[in-house]
Amino acid sequence: MCRSVTVGLSAVILCLTAAASGCTSMGVEPWERDVLAKEEMQLTTDPVEAGIDDHIYFSKEASSGGRGFGGGGCGCN
Amino acid sequence: MSKQNSRSIAASLATAACSLLGTSTVSPVQAQEEPGWDFNTALLYYGESDGRVQDFSLNVLANRAFVDDRILSLGLTVDSLTGATPSGALPFDGPQTFTRPSGKAVYTTSANEIPLDDSFLDTRVALTAGWAQPFARLYTFNAGVSASKEYDYVHIGGNAGLSRDFNKRNTTLSLGLAYAQDSLNPEGGTPVPLSPMLDVGDLSNRIGDQDKDVVDVVLGLTQVVNRNLLFQFNYSLSQSSGYLNDPFKFLSLVDPVSGDPVGHTPAPGVSGPSHEYRFESRPDERTKHSVYGQAKYYMSGKVLDLSYRYMTDDWEIDSHTLDARYRWPFGDKRYLEPHVRWYTQTAADFYRISLVDGAAPLEFASADYRLGEFDAITVGMKYGWKTRSDNEMSVRLEYYMQDGTAPSDQIIGNQAGRELYPDLDAIIAQFSYRF
Repeated sequence: MCRSVTVGLSAVILCLTAAASGCTSMGVEPWERDVLAKEEMQLTTDPVEAGIDDHIYFSKEASSGGRGFGGGGCGCN
Repeated sequence: MSKQNSRSIAASLATAACSLLGTSTVSPVQAQEEPGWDFNTALLYYGESDGRVQDFSLNVLANRAFVDDRILSLGLTVDSLTGATPSGALPFDGPQTFTRPSGKAVYTTSANEIPLDDSFLDTRVALTAGWAQPFARLYTFNAGVSASKEYDYVHIGGNAGLSRDFNKRNTTLSLGLAYAQDSLNPEGGTPVPLSPMLDVGDLSNRIGDQDKDVVDVVLGLTQVVNRNLLFQFNYSLSQSSGYLNDPFKFLSLVDPVSGDPVGHTPAPGVSGPSHEYRFESRPDERTKHSVYGQAKYYMSGKVLDLSYRYMTDDWEIDSHTLDARYRWPFGDKRYLEPHVRWYTQTAADFYRISLVDGAAPLEFASADYRLGEFDAITVGMKYGWKTRSDNEMSVRLEYYMQDGTAPSDQIIGNQAGRELYPDLDAIIAQFSYRF
């Protein structure tokens, strides 16, 4: 892994840590999670559909990943 | 706990544990689950216009929840692919003949049509397995493996992730790692980059099986803002190395004045290409960086899901993706979900619509339309409902359209006025059943 990538990763880790520190004023109490526990409020509501979409766009565009791993996995045309 | 809530937890953890393409980030919502299997199945039809790629796909994701929030996920996908795909050659006002990728026969395309390679026929089987479990109160660990097999392509991969909750579990930091090793073994062998398309039976420009490795790192932050709003932010690094070409893509070799393809005469008594074509050549390394943000907002029963991704790589491709879904329930058991996605990318720095005869040789060149400059839009609608037994069904229909542009500084002579970029129109139809 080249040096610029290492530096970039370190910067991102720092930013995430700083962001996490700044997030302590946000949030809810455990008994206020009724809405967040709903199925439609999960970040990925339908993992199969998300996988299908990722596969289609991975096959037809030059970008992949973001939500998760970009990975390999097919010789798609 | 109701079956629905159990399913909700399983679904959110499944994404972390199972799919190679799934997120490594665990939902901030935690609860005790009810042991049992949950099956998430889908039948998909993906069809491109003009006789291009058609895919029928069966997808099954089975999640088994155990006590203490431990989740086992097993996935199966079977794709049946047929149809034709743009080869990279330019259209021309006469017919063009090409040697098939196997090197055993030829096919001919009509005048003034973007040449499509119609020898595309494959069945792909993909398997995934994953495990996720909490430990030390605030941590969750997940690991998974994946494998897929096509006629001429094999993939194996593994992934692992760790997440930690902070701030009364309102904040989650996660790290995911994935490694994939893919092997290409096309019939007739992989072509030497930039070598000419040869006559039938001549495989002297073919080399043996080729490999590529992909390493992915994903760092994630998930934050609950209030009762109705949460967001996720990811940074992803992806490094690919090895044979990154598409062995079926090539470029036309064109006259520097007319822009028409240079003719080729096959050896006596042998079939072969009508013009000169060169197999594509991509760098053997690629590093991609992505940032991804997603927000989910609950509004009196309706849910807005917005996401944005920016990607940049050392092939000089930059892309932006905006995605919006709006889940609109009516009654207790039904909902509609309109979906809009907008995508744009710049071209790779080695993207060429053709190679010019007599020009200085290039180290890298590809006419693969997926490496060109284009915009894409997806619009769709999903309708979901619950059955009497409280299982879920949904249908969705989407339209996907790509609109690309050939670089004006690469257009030569007669090429002006011809359709140089293979635009794409496709339908996505899906039926899902969760039980």
